[in-house]
Amino acid sequence: MNVIETNNLTKSYGKSRGIVDISFSVKEGEIFGFIGPNGSGKSTTIRILLSLIYPTSGSANIFGKDVVAYGSEIKKEIGYLPSEVFYYANMKVIELLKYSASFYKKDCSKRINYLAEIMHLDLNKKIDDLSFGNKKKVGIVQGLLHEPKLIILDEPTSGLDPLMQQKFFDLLKEENKKGATILFSSHILSEVQKLCDRVAIIKEGKIIKLENISALKENNYKRFRIETLSKIDKNHFNIMGVNKLEIKENRVKFIFKGNINIIIKKISFIEISNIWIDEPDLEEIFMHHYSKEA
Amino acid sequence: MNIFTREMKANRKPLILWGISIVAMISGGMGKFAAYTNSGESINDMLDILPKSLLNVYGISSFDLSTAIGFYGVLFLYLILIATVYAVMLGANIIAKEEKDKTTEFLFVKPVSRSKVITSKLFAVLLNIIILNIVTFIASFVIVNHFNVGNAILTDMIMLIMGMFITQLIFMCIGALVASVSKNPKAATSTAIGILLITFMISMLINMNDKLENLKYITPFKYFGAESIISGKGMDLVFITLSMVIIAISLAGTYRFYNKRDLRV
Repeated sequence: MNVIETNNLTKSYGKSRGIVDISFSVKEGEIFGFIGPNGSGKSTTIRILLSLIYPTSGSANIFGKDVVAYGSEIKKEIGYLPSEVFYYANMKVIELLKYSASFYKKDCSKRINYLAEIMHLDLNKKIDDLSFGNKKKVGIVQGLLHEPKLIILDEPTSGLDPLMQQKFFDLLKEENKKGATILFSSHILSEVQKLCDRVAIIKEGKIIKLENISALKENNYKRFRIETLSKIDKNHFNIMGVNKLEIKENRVKFIFKGNINIIIKKISFIEISNIWIDEPDLEEIFMHHYSKEA
Repeated sequence: MNIFTREMKANRKPLILWGISIVAMISGGMGKFAAYTNSGESINDMLDILPKSLLNVYGISSFDLSTAIGFYGVLFLYLILIATVYAVMLGANIIAKEEKDKTTEFLFVKPVSRSKVITSKLFAVLLNIIILNIVTFIASFVIVNHFNVGNAILTDMIMLIMGMFITQLIFMCIGALVASVSKNPKAATSTAIGILLITFMISMLINMNDKLENLKYITPFKYFGAESIISGKGMDLVFITLSMVIIAISLAGTYRFYNKRDLRV
């Protein structure tokens, strides 16, 4: 059964870009990644699913019901974490959470305490006094306190330190095991790779690829920056999988896609003084890998 | 019920402040009345020196300022201005505030329809306005009664406050309508207040110039004028009906536009 289904969803904002013909479906129990650079239309799509805004054309169903016509009914079973959380002034964390819980017809107090404990959230603080990361935690608890069947997350990890991120991911996996479907939007490939089963890659308002995560994992992208002790042969790194190779004096820069061991062996042949290996941002990967296909 | 309670809580502090200002304004204003009467000179004689048109601008000319209720009538013109500004702001904020504070993504992803949000908030705002009117009524009655000599003022007072209440309702609904149509939540409140000030200005122009008499239909400030109530004419059924029509249209428009448009996130 499909929990989310969109058919040629289109939203135009006058001249500026919205989204065009977005069609995808998310199966029950799936963790579905929604990945694309900032401004590519991820949030727009999510906001249409939540009927905060309405599509110009096309339609979307959640739990088999049209999101516009049955919005408030569908939302009983949706938990949402926006990319930026804003709350009412002068409220304590617990007051906000209780207010949030009051919209669902069940007792959520145990669940609030449980989630707050996992996320190390002080319930008696004023929300205005919280740091960005702690506000995000409020958002997480707030989005999960009614044990929703569908969890929608829009760039959920910004502001969370790595430890909290891990706890949050564990929490999501736990919810998923209990049967929750998750839509996870992000511009960071590695977190989507860690969590999701399938991804939709969105760029400039269009879905350019739907892929199983296994396929993406094969395409393990890393950005290498190396400082060598001496000048190296220009062709040393001219092997399969190396892209955007730049060599300047004793500095080497490239993006590698493929079996990490191969490149590490290759590096071990030369004398290096320093090395940085990190995730290339999505834009770089897109520019390279998907620009031809799109 | 939860939205209603939350809204009442959020509006409590402003309500207290508005209440205090209104009581201060009534007692301050009527204190002037005491000062004039104690000075021994007749206020009416003093005012005779001033040009009639100037008095008209301030709406003073049609009141008997030697009586407490007459003096209060002048004060009332400004009281109603303040009370309606409060109402129009509350009305606009029903819709604009969530968008301004960016809490839209909190409230509207809850299992609650936009119509229900508006309805709950309208009731909360209505209760706020009623409370402010009760405060205004009690303060007005007690203070005016204190200076009053021999006139029966209760009926006039009730009618004045009723008129003020209906005018507030009109502006509350206009405020909500403006915010529901407006795409910019920050501009919504100021636009609504702008509309209010323009209609207030029109009511002053009508005071100055008899030829503009017919414009009275477009400014709610003229619907339940203090001068006609105090002079015993009471409230005009035409204007009561007109008020209800404006309120109904504004409300219908508010629900319609707000349900149809994209929320600002």
